[in-house]
Amino acid sequence: MRNRATTPLKVKKTFLGELRIRQSWSKYNLYNLSRLAKPRERGRNLFQVKWTAKSIARNYHGEQVREKQWVRMFDTRIRSVIPMDAKYLASNDGTLESAGRGSGLDSRESLRRKPKADPSIPYMQMTFAPLERRLDTAIFRAMFASSARQARQFVVHGAVKVNGKEMRYPGYLLNPGDMFHVQPERVMFATGAPKPSAKLEAATEDADGEENTAEEKEGDTADEEVVEDQATDDVEVERDPREVLKDLKAQAKTILASTKQDLGAKRKQDLRAFSKTIQRLLSRSKSSTILTDSIEAQFAEIQHQLQIRRQNQEAGTSSLPSAQDEARASADDGVEPSTPAEKGEASTEAGHEENSITDGEYNELLAALQSMHENPVDDSKPYATPWMPRDYMSAFAFIPRYLEVNHKICAAVYLRHPVARPGLAEVPSPFSDLVQAPAFGWYLRRR
Amino acid sequence: MPPRIPPSAASITIPRPSVHTHCKSCLTRAFSSTPSSQTQLRKRMFNWLQGPGANFRQPLANSTNYLSAYDRRGNLIRDRNKKQGSSPEPVSEGPETENVVALEEAAEEEPRLRKEDEEDLRPFPLNHTFISQSILSDELREEIWKRVRVDGKSVRQVSVEMGVDMRRIAAVVRLVEVERRMVAEGKSLAIPYARAIQSMVPVNKLNPQTRKPVEEHEPINDLEQHPMTYRQIFWPTSESRAFTRTDAGRVFSGAPRLPDEQERGQDGKPLLEPWQDTTPEIVGKPGHEHPVLKPADARIPHPHLVAYEKDKLDPTIKSHEVRARYVERLQQEDAKRKAIIERQARIEEKKKIRIETDRWQFVVTEVRATRTGTGLDGRGTKAPGFRYGVPSQERKKGQVKIPTSVEV
Repeated sequence: MRNRATTPLKVKKTFLGELRIRQSWSKYNLYNLSRLAKPRERGRNLFQVKWTAKSIARNYHGEQVREKQWVRMFDTRIRSVIPMDAKYLASNDGTLESAGRGSGLDSRESLRRKPKADPSIPYMQMTFAPLERRLDTAIFRAMFASSARQARQFVVHGAVKVNGKEMRYPGYLLNPGDMFHVQPERVMFATGAPKPSAKLEAATEDADGEENTAEEKEGDTADEEVVEDQATDDVEVERDPREVLKDLKAQAKTILASTKQDLGAKRKQDLRAFSKTIQRLLSRSKSSTILTDSIEAQFAEIQHQLQIRRQNQEAGTSSLPSAQDEARASADDGVEPSTPAEKGEASTEAGHEENSITDGEYNELLAALQSMHENPVDDSKPYATPWMPRDYMSAFAFIPRYLEVNHKICAAVYLRHPVARPGLAEVPSPFSDLVQAPAFGWYLRRR
Repeated sequence: MPPRIPPSAASITIPRPSVHTHCKSCLTRAFSSTPSSQTQLRKRMFNWLQGPGANFRQPLANSTNYLSAYDRRGNLIRDRNKKQGSSPEPVSEGPETENVVALEEAAEEEPRLRKEDEEDLRPFPLNHTFISQSILSDELREEIWKRVRVDGKSVRQVSVEMGVDMRRIAAVVRLVEVERRMVAEGKSLAIPYARAIQSMVPVNKLNPQTRKPVEEHEPINDLEQHPMTYRQIFWPTSESRAFTRTDAGRVFSGAPRLPDEQERGQDGKPLLEPWQDTTPEIVGKPGHEHPVLKPADARIPHPHLVAYEKDKLDPTIKSHEVRARYVERLQQEDAKRKAIIERQARIEEKKKIRIETDRWQFVVTEVRATRTGTGLDGRGTKAPGFRYGVPSQERKKGQVKIPTSVEV
């Protein structure tokens, strides 16, 4: 791109109506949006009013599109709909409206009692509706990118598919029914809090360098890890299981409570320590076949145990889960004779263990683990992990109705063209009619 | 012990403040020779971001967080009104240890915010005609998917049941299918991101009792304003005859009046009810042909609802019969639609010749470069194939290469 879209704070002679608002979630833009005022009209001729209106509006609507391109796209036809009531259509075939009103048909009363008028259709707000069809704008509107420029970059870099085929043209005009899909990694990067900068990282690393180096060592040599684990296990066995679980609970609580704050190195260490303790706890049930060191396996195991507890409670034998487990284990024996003894042992052990944990504790554990499982700490990602929404995002968060978005898979369907309806216009725009109508007039001049 | 510092000489000798000792610039000017790191504008911006703008840094719990929900000082408007109404209750301080838990719980259970009204849902304070409308929740999407794919209901029926537009129903089913496929393939989903978005925008939830959206999601019978109806026409009609929506459509499209035996107002019998009248009728001089505008009853997405309402208004039809007729009408429509799709597929298939070999299946489609395609001068672009003497525009400057559609 030749030009760059800046969000200057400065305006000529403090005319706050002429601030440049962009399709972006930046804090500069939010500040400008908060102090945006109506455009000045006094002492200006029609040409001046139209000129400023169109330039203000074009700073927001498709500023990445050349003026000539936009002029070609501009359409005087404005799409609008009127919601119809089936009951009304059934009871009246239109003769009521067209029936004669003369010869004293109108009584005084009916003249005075006017029916409540529907809110008018804001046609002028639809001036820039053709631009909403563009692929880059639609990606921004679906909240897959933090600005229209970024959306454009995603398209150009080949991260966007339309109907399952890669589309590298940001100017592709979506047709009703088109599905577009952005790589989830890109979306998480665009909408997530940025990674702390390298300088900050270095500073924190200096502060607690010792522990980090210890960890690195751990990662390097597998033998050492095993030895260490065994050592810690020995220590853990001597401690009361209740205490261990209490610690776990406290840790889980803090992790769950402080999801909003920034994650420093200290918190990452906390999280790692947390997962380790859980691993230790579970490894004491000696079901080494089920438990690997991955978080996912732990997660599955805990979920399984929780389910067993629930089933027990439903059966009404909450006091003796171990017996039931044994029964199930024996049933397993019959089915698959390959790993019978170990499995049975594991479940009984787990059952004994469970007696010391309440349901609430278990749920908390599960919630903590689930959040870790879905939103893991991963330094390889280009955004801060665990993922958090970027600052000032909520002020810009809306999904227009002409898109149907599934955020989980980062895909959306362009349902139809945006329309105006009584009292509502579907084109998101920060400007009032005082800007949109003169802008429409400006482009009308050339038709 | 450190020595006492005597009061500085400067503080003693300062004259009493008066109008003469204070000049405006002295108060605002910085007497530092190093250049300021921030301009006035930036300073003001950061002041705002730390003051009223601090509300927008993090999303508000269980609510949207738009600019117009706050006043200039950064107070939540709907919260402010409530605070004035009720005074804070005094909390008795009893013995700690046991009460701590209760207090914590009370602290966690913050006074729930009032639901946003339309004013709070405007992301752009100056634009009163744009409001942030709700999206479907995950459960609602699953429910829609279930009704279409598992229960095998038609999109039209589900649309009426749930009060969601037909195109949206189709899109939801498509997206949920993709999601399921991605889960089955073990691809990673953007779950924390989806959760964050759902907490920031208004969400329409599923009512667990009725299995329907809690609020009415959107109007399903939207009538698109046809360009033919933009004109204002003064059309004198006789008071002795009824002028219906069908007639209005004919006037707008410049078609002649229906013959008396077909016109409802003349006690004639129309060929079809207005709501089921979808057969195209072309009028206009050669070269200016256009279809006749149908009445609104036929142009809305759910014309069968008009028939349903008519049945309900008819006192001779019993209520259970109304329901039965409604279901029958839906089934008929479904069958009709399926037949059309089948017929189209058959016609398409007829044009193709399939040649089976042991490895490939060759599909040959017959094309014809006739005068209708090439035009009288032989330069037309509608027919396939290269034409001798007609230069290709493909590589010329200004040719737009952006595709206009992508086939699924």
